[in-house]
Amino acid sequence: MPLDREAKRTAWLLIGPAVLVLLALNIYPTFYAFDISLYYWRLAGLQPRRFIGFQNYQLLFSDDRFLHSILVSIEFVVLAVGIEFVLGLGLAFVFNTRLPGLATIRKLSMLPVMLMPLVSGLVWFYMFNENFGVVNWFVSLILGHRVPFLTSRHLALGTIVVADAWQWTPFIMFVMFAALQALPEYVYEAARMDGLSDWQILWRVTVPLLRPAIMIVVVIRVVDALRMIELVFMMTKGGGGTEVLPWYLYSTAFISMNLGYAAAMAVLFIIMVSILSQLLIRRLAADQV
Amino acid sequence: MPRMTDARSGPIVAMPPESDRDPDAGVLQHERELAAYRVRGSGHGHAVLAAAACYLAAAAFLGICLFPLYIVVTTAIKNQRDVFAWPPLWSFHPTLANFYDALFVFGGQGALTFVINSVVVTVASTLLSVGLGSMAAYGLARFSFPGRKQLAFWILSTRFAPPIAFVVPLYLMALELNLLDTRLALVLIYTSMNLSLVIWLLRGFYREIPIEIEEAALVDGYSRVHIFLRIATPLIRPGIVTSAVLSAVFSWNEFIFASVLTQTKAATLPVYLSGFSNAMGMAWGPYMAVGVIAVVPIATITIALQRQLVRGLTFGAIR
Repeated sequence: MPLDREAKRTAWLLIGPAVLVLLALNIYPTFYAFDISLYYWRLAGLQPRRFIGFQNYQLLFSDDRFLHSILVSIEFVVLAVGIEFVLGLGLAFVFNTRLPGLATIRKLSMLPVMLMPLVSGLVWFYMFNENFGVVNWFVSLILGHRVPFLTSRHLALGTIVVADAWQWTPFIMFVMFAALQALPEYVYEAARMDGLSDWQILWRVTVPLLRPAIMIVVVIRVVDALRMIELVFMMTKGGGGTEVLPWYLYSTAFISMNLGYAAAMAVLFIIMVSILSQLLIRRLAADQV
Repeated sequence: MPRMTDARSGPIVAMPPESDRDPDAGVLQHERELAAYRVRGSGHGHAVLAAAACYLAAAAFLGICLFPLYIVVTTAIKNQRDVFAWPPLWSFHPTLANFYDALFVFGGQGALTFVINSVVVTVASTLLSVGLGSMAAYGLARFSFPGRKQLAFWILSTRFAPPIAFVVPLYLMALELNLLDTRLALVLIYTSMNLSLVIWLLRGFYREIPIEIEEAALVDGYSRVHIFLRIATPLIRPGIVTSAVLSAVFSWNEFIFASVLTQTKAATLPVYLSGFSNAMGMAWGPYMAVGVIAVVPIATITIALQRQLVRGLTFGAIR
C-alpha cells in the first residue's frame, strides 16, 4: 500500500498505543531501576533514602551471597534445561515414528506445560515430603529408609530441577516433534541412496537440519528457567542451597526491604539476560524480515 | 510498497506439505511405510523390539506427566487424616469438603474473592493485550516506514526481560500512583508483558494474508481501519485465538507481581496458593482443591489447542 498521509496516520494510530504501554511499563521502569540502584533506599527503614552513587554495585561484587546465587542459577539452568532437552529430543524421535496410538499419548503429555507453576511447586512439595510424600514412599521401598529431599543440601536443588523438568520436557518434545515433522522427506531418500547408515543420517542430516529449532527452544528455555522463582517459593524458600538469583533479589527487596540494593541486582540481571536473548533475536532476525 | 510476504518465508522451519500438517489425520499408506522404516532401524528383525521400546518410552512418559496431576486431584478429595497417611493411600472415601472449605471458609476469607479477581484480571488484560497487540501487529505487517524492523525486534526483546527485575520499580510506581492492591495495576502490567508475544505472533499471521485482498478493498474505497477490522482480522482468527489463550494463561498463572502489588482486595489465585506456607503445612486438602480450580480451565484449553500453542510459545518460529 502506498504511504500517503492517511496511511502514515493510520500506522501510528495502530502502533502507537502498544508502544506507549511498553515505554511506560518496560522502558521507563528499566531506567527507574537504575535510578533507584544509585540510592541507599530501605522501605520502612529508619534512615531516609540518600544518594550513594555506585556503592550498591560495589557491594554486590563483593557479596558472596550474590555471587553464589548466580552460580546456583547457572547450575539450575544447566541441569534443568539439559535434562529437558535430552529427554524432549529423544521423545520427539519416539513420537515421530507415528506408531498408532502415539498421537493420543502425545496430546495428553502436553498437560503439564501450561499449568500454574505454583501448583506444580505445591504438588512436588507434597510428593517429596519426608513424612508422607509419595516419592519418599517409592524411595523407601527401594532404599529401605526415607530421604529428606527438600532440606538436604545436595538434594534440594535436585527436587526443583525434577519439578521444572516435569513441567517443561513436554514443551521441548513438542517443538522438536514439530521440527522433525517439517523435515523434507526427499533429503532422507537422497541420503539413503547415497548409502548412509541410519546413524550417519541422524548425525549428518537430521541434527544439522534441526539446529535452528534447537537454538530457538534452548534459548527460550534458558531465559525462562533463569527467571524461575515459583518452585523455590513453594518448595524450599531458598533453603538447602537453592537460592537462585530471582529469589535473592525478591527476598532482598521484600523481606529485607532493601530496595536500592535489589534494584542494582535487577539492573545487572537485565544486562545478563539481554546479552543472552540477543542470541535468539539474531537468529530470528536472520530468518525473518 | 511493503514487501510482499511469501507465506513460507516467515517460519524458520519450513511448513510441511499439506498432507503432513496434521499427523493425526488418517495416515496414508506411504506414511505407514515410512513409519515402518523409521521404526525398523538397522534390521527387519528388530522392528517389533524397536516398536515395543517406543511404546514403553511413550507410556512411561505419559505416566510421569499425569501422575502429579493425579496426586493434585486425589489429595483435593481426601479428608484431613488420609492426606497424611503413611504409606500413601491409594483407595479412600472421596469428599468434596475441601472445595467448600477452600472457597468459603478457609483462612477466614476463602478463595472465592481470589477466583473472582483472577477471572477479572485475566479477562481484562487478555482483551487489552489482544486489542492493542493486533493493532500494532497489523501496523508492523502492512505499513513500511524507516525503523520498522528495529521496532519489531525491540518489541520482541521486551519478552526476554526478567519480570523479577521490574518488581522494585513497578512497586514504587504503583505506590506513587496509589495503585497498590488494585486490579488495574495488575491488568496494565500483564498487558505490557503479553504485548510482545501477541504482536510478534500476529504479525506473522497478518503477513500470510495475500495482500491483493487488502489492495482490492483499498481500491474499492474502504478505509484502512475498516480493512484492518473487517477484512484482515477475521481472516486470522486462529492467530487471535492462540494469542488470546497464551495471554490468558500467562495472566492467570502470574505470581510475582500479584504477590508484591496486591494484599487482599485485588489478590489473585496464585497469591492465595502462596499463602500455603503460612498455613503451617497443614491444609493440604483445601490448597490442592484451589490447585484443581486453578488448573482445570488451563488443562482443558491445553488439550484443545496444543498444536497452535507450540507455534505461539515459539513466536511463530515453529509450527
